[in-house]
Amino acid sequence: MANDTQEPIAVTHSVRKQLLAPGKFRLFGKNRDWWIKQFFEGNAALSIIVLLLIVFTLFREAAGFMPGNRHNLEVYRLAGLEYVDIVKRETNSAAALGRELSATRLAWFEALRAEGLTSETANERLAPLDEIDTRLADATGPLRDIVSEMTDHAASVKERANVAEDMKEVRQNLRSGIKGADSQRAASLESQAAAVEIEEIDYATEIVALTSRLPEIQAANRALSAELGALAAALPRSDIPAVSKRLQRFAQALEEFRVGIPRVEGELVRWRADEPVGAFESFNAFLFGRTWVTASFWQDWYGVLPLFFGSFFISVLALAIAIPLGVCAALYVNQVARPAEQRFIKPYIEFIAAIPSVVLGFFGIAMLGETLRLVSQVPWLSWVPGFPMQERLNAFTAATLLALMAIPTIFTLAEDALQNVPKALREASFALGASRLQTIVRIILPAALSGITAAILLGFGRVIGETMVVLLCAGNRIAIPDFSAGLGVAFQPVHTMTGIVAQEMGEVVRGSLHYRALFMVGSLLFLLSLAVNYGAQKIVTRYRLPQS
Amino acid sequence: MSTRPDFPARRSILRQPSWAARQEQLLFLLLRLGTYGVLLAAAVIFIDIGWKGGRVVFRAEAPFINVPFLTEAPESLHVLKMPDGTTLKMGDREYRAFNEAHPEQVKAARAENYVYSAGGIFPNIVGTVLLVLGSMTIALVLGVCSAVYLSEYAKEGPLVRLVRLSIANLAGVPSIVFGLFGFGLFVVALGWNVSLLAGWFTLAFMVLPIIITASEESLRAVPKGLREGALALGATKFQTIRTNVLPYALPGILTSSVLAVARVAGETAPIMFTAAYVVRDQMPWDVAKWTDFVFQGVMALPYHIYVVASKIPQNEYTRDVQYGTAFVFLFTVAAIALSAILLRARLRKQYRW
Amino acid sequence: MSTAQPLTAAPTVPPPAAPAPATPPIVEIDKLDFFYGDKQALFDVTLGIPEKQVTAFIGPSGCGKTTLLRCLNRMNDLVDVARIGGGEIRIDGINIYDPRVDVIELRKRVGMVFQKSNPFPKSIYENIAYGLRLHGITHKSKLDEVVEKSLRGAALWDEVKDRLHDSGMGLSGGQQQRLCIARAIAVEPDVILMDEPCSALDPIATAKVEELIHELKNKYTIVIVTHNMQQAARVSDLTAFFYLGKLIEFAGTQKIFMKPSNPQTEAYVSGHFG
Repeated sequence: MANDTQEPIAVTHSVRKQLLAPGKFRLFGKNRDWWIKQFFEGNAALSIIVLLLIVFTLFREAAGFMPGNRHNLEVYRLAGLEYVDIVKRETNSAAALGRELSATRLAWFEALRAEGLTSETANERLAPLDEIDTRLADATGPLRDIVSEMTDHAASVKERANVAEDMKEVRQNLRSGIKGADSQRAASLESQAAAVEIEEIDYATEIVALTSRLPEIQAANRALSAELGALAAALPRSDIPAVSKRLQRFAQALEEFRVGIPRVEGELVRWRADEPVGAFESFNAFLFGRTWVTASFWQDWYGVLPLFFGSFFISVLALAIAIPLGVCAALYVNQVARPAEQRFIKPYIEFIAAIPSVVLGFFGIAMLGETLRLVSQVPWLSWVPGFPMQERLNAFTAATLLALMAIPTIFTLAEDALQNVPKALREASFALGASRLQTIVRIILPAALSGITAAILLGFGRVIGETMVVLLCAGNRIAIPDFSAGLGVAFQPVHTMTGIVAQEMGEVVRGSLHYRALFMVGSLLFLLSLAVNYGAQKIVTRYRLPQS
Repeated sequence: MSTRPDFPARRSILRQPSWAARQEQLLFLLLRLGTYGVLLAAAVIFIDIGWKGGRVVFRAEAPFINVPFLTEAPESLHVLKMPDGTTLKMGDREYRAFNEAHPEQVKAARAENYVYSAGGIFPNIVGTVLLVLGSMTIALVLGVCSAVYLSEYAKEGPLVRLVRLSIANLAGVPSIVFGLFGFGLFVVALGWNVSLLAGWFTLAFMVLPIIITASEESLRAVPKGLREGALALGATKFQTIRTNVLPYALPGILTSSVLAVARVAGETAPIMFTAAYVVRDQMPWDVAKWTDFVFQGVMALPYHIYVVASKIPQNEYTRDVQYGTAFVFLFTVAAIALSAILLRARLRKQYRW
Repeated sequence: MSTAQPLTAAPTVPPPAAPAPATPPIVEIDKLDFFYGDKQALFDVTLGIPEKQVTAFIGPSGCGKTTLLRCLNRMNDLVDVARIGGGEIRIDGINIYDPRVDVIELRKRVGMVFQKSNPFPKSIYENIAYGLRLHGITHKSKLDEVVEKSLRGAALWDEVKDRLHDSGMGLSGGQQQRLCIARAIAVEPDVILMDEPCSALDPIATAKVEELIHELKNKYTIVIVTHNMQQAARVSDLTAFFYLGKLIEFAGTQKIFMKPSNPQTEAYVSGHFG
């Protein structure tokens, strides 16, 4: 530094030397910066890898479901469970007839009591109905006996099939130990494996025990059919209009049942145990199956439809609450609120998003469910469909809490969309003499519509994927909501896709069909979330406003 | 007036509030009601849990905090209804001692037993803290590196588009699916069993999109001039990033990541089958070697709330532990989130380059 | 720009002859073609920049003068679509676009001062020391020495010597720009590129920076891009006039401003357009 004047020469020299000098660090012909870039790039690629891993893991675990469920359905058919179920359907609808009759009797009884009769006289008056009830029960008796015997037989065959499966696995496990073991041990293992008894079930002979009952069933049906005709004729009449209507309905149901008997017989005759289960049948049984029954002694069904309906139904309910409120809050904050209000409301709503879902679920169980039920029992609210509520935990309870979770998502995104509407549009509208309301409704909302739609879609994604709230508050009854109840359907308990995974995953045997079915549900959820996301992104990019 | 129909403005400009104006006011009132209704609904939850849970956690006399509740492990609660009408409530250990001392009284009493309803929630707090620390470390390292690539290195192209698509889609994957994924991959396929490690990675992958997005935003907010200035001085790209970009983006990254902490701490579904135990006797540090430490499951606050809310009945004896746990959990998460929201608002004002 | 009728006429001017330099050129630009994507930004530019002189690039906006400047230390590498279409740039006889060239070393030797002053959000001291630390100089006494020398060199020492550890962001605009110059000379470059260094400064601060440029040329080769023709006339020894990506005329500043040989140059320097 001391000698400034000479330095440039030295520097020039060093330039000549260094400008062409390659960097010191080299690995496989690449310099340090290249490797650092690769490192960061690898990290970024991790997102892709994680997504692929999710796909891979879900589908790997779910993959075994198809053949597994196919086998499940095959055994169901081969062992004759399907055959028995056909007859069972008949006895079940007969039982439903009985229940309908009891309900009619109760209604009649109450009507009579309302007319001022004592319960004895009322009961006396209803004696003919009681007689019909007894005759109906007696008439279906033989069929019920046959079904019960057939059930026992089919169940035992299936049980033996299961044991044979297990034994096969035992033998396989023993044999797999042979490799790598010394000769002595291998021989002992082999002998053990050979000693494992695996029953070869001769389904063809076993099924005869069931199909040979057909004549008996037909005879029982003939007797039943005749008796039903007699019962219809003996049905008493009532001059109370409501009761009369119920009686008519019962008579109609009776007739329908009677007509249905030959159909059932036809099905029995046509049924073949050796009819193969199609490759798609197991998939269809999952996607369109209406029952989800697990760990049953009779037959496990993995139909996702009730769960899907539950999830979808709750989400729609939640959005029905969240969309108006979320959009309304966004409009208010963006268009109406004073700056001070904005500074308070925006972080507040953002803050709501941070409430953990399990706490919301807990609040639903501990507080909201009970409160809603008490409210529903208020007499002057009885006009509300579905009130008073049967269960404190139902779709509505869960949906209100889910709405609270969806509101911040919808609010934030919708507010952004409103914010992005160019100021010029607004001012142009005002300049034409439009009021604030007109400007909002005619100019701003349409301009922000795509953003708001995307917000709603993402809100839907958030709600349908939510677990803890629905697990705790939806009531967890696996059934397709009964829409015949009108709007009261909102107060029925349901189960959801997320809920079933959370509830049953902890208890299933790894690798079992049930385990794989849960992964199927997970895969479905995953695909659904991808679709929702994709849709939202498409909408946003497609209808983006020319930005200021 | 009626002779001048072509100048309606002349009339209406001086008129009393018209129907349209009233309509507008009505709508704005509705909007306001809706908005404040939402705020109120959230407030009700906070007040309910704050009031009922606050009574469990706080005490009227010194030390003002229910120390046992925060420092003991959960125990079964034994309720003895004595023949003389009094009711005794005691934790498991206390009950055993009492049973030794007065077996005849225990025999005479009508006993009820509620799991997890006595003692405290200390192991749960510890477990949650461990889960958050581990998963946030993983997520921050991976997320910030990804964001550095996206904001500093990436050129628009198929890879970057794919990365962005993945991030957007990962953000929408339901947490229970992350749970299934973690279970299928870490717990089953990799054989880590139910463990801290499995929980860490599951949670880390879950918040990765949040961290990447937040970090990228902060990195992009650093002015270009700083990068060019450093490069023009002969800094390598990495030197520029390390010394002249990351330090200035770090406050933003960390603040935005605090929201991710709230998310990680608050999620239940991903840890249900990957990391959480319903009950465990040892504390996490009671392990023989460090590998045991990462391969052990823990108790966690959110899972505990799920357990006490769904697996034990709701009554006067169980309410304390239910509301107390919810209180501690909700207000911890809320405090974290609130600080993040406030800090971020402040930071946005401060760092307007 | 479109108002200038004579300019759109075919540029029948012969390639500008390099002025007879007092010293041999340190930077030689040879038939350079430069593209942003498909758009050509520089056409066949040939020019020699002599050592320890101030060379000014002038021309209307978008004429390519900043682009050329940023080629000289390969800052254009940062732009994805930028590429050299033909020709080369030699510094001390070495083609700086040779793949073997160490860009880091190049940038160290060809410093740059930007249009918008960009001090790092660090202390004044750390701003200067940053470049030295990058190149492995960490010894405290050495750093102190260079910081003082650079700040003196940038005529900033007396103003900031009592607050070296305050943030560089707290300085005034002109001081910030001189801090950036100090930062650039701290790493001992041969060439300093200045991209409109005074465009954001008030006249007093501008005067100070110009004065500084005058002093710096004793030690450094300076290339300055400017919009301000008076500034070019005041500070530069040589001036190159660019128009639409082409070098129109390159000569001694006196000649360019007094009797330009090209009518386009004349129209521009006499203020008819631009």
